[in-house]
Amino acid sequence: MANRPPYPGIPRWVKVFGIIVTVVVLLVVTMTFIGSVEHGPGRHTPSGDAGGRVLPSSIMEEYAPPEGGRG
Amino acid sequence: MIMTSRLRKFALAAHITLAVGWIGAVAGYIALDVAAATSQDAQTLRAAYLAMEVIAWYVIVPLALASLLSGLVMSVGTKWGLFRHYWVLISLLLTIIATVVLVVETQTISHFADIAADPTTSGDDLGALGSTLVHSAGGTVVLLVILVLNVYKPRGMTRYGWRKQQEERRNKEFG
Repeated sequence: MANRPPYPGIPRWVKVFGIIVTVVVLLVVTMTFIGSVEHGPGRHTPSGDAGGRVLPSSIMEEYAPPEGGRG
Repeated sequence: MIMTSRLRKFALAAHITLAVGWIGAVAGYIALDVAAATSQDAQTLRAAYLAMEVIAWYVIVPLALASLLSGLVMSVGTKWGLFRHYWVLISLLLTIIATVVLVVETQTISHFADIAADPTTSGDDLGALGSTLVHSAGGTVVLLVILVLNVYKPRGMTRYGWRKQQEERRNKEFG
């Protein structure tokens, strides 16, 4: 049986792409935790993160935040 | 199962139409999103939120799901496969992530539209709703990355793809 040639490894562009994605994800997570960016479904509710624009209580009393699917 | 040439061309045309249509629909949505983020006019805000919901539910979500489905058909029905090449695998993962985030975000959009549809909601309250610009702009970047990957098809096989290729070569050589 002929020897199988070795796997050439992960291409460089995939490694660079992975690094970029990791950095972007870490940035978004960091910014979300320090509250400088509104992010996540909770940002439109009264208990949303501190930096976000919060709906006036008059609206929030009338409209509950969306849950689950539509309809 | 590899598709015939005629079927492959039809599937490719459908996939390109759906995927590029998704990007175009998001571009239209962003125009409304910018209006929602910047306008102070109650009528503009109300119209923008209502139109955003219609575009999201009836254009963007169907195009996203159809693009994902047609992409799966193209991968499985051609020599590229689904897990053999990094560009296909990464495109698939990004498309799934973009679709999931989109479906979650439509809940927020519907919530905004429900508030905007109420004639008693004041202009100030509408102005306080905010926008979904972070997601729509981020989604556009992801879609453009997928587009570039699909056009350039950068080289690079996964370990699974490499093994399959070697097996096929060996089968050809030894019958």
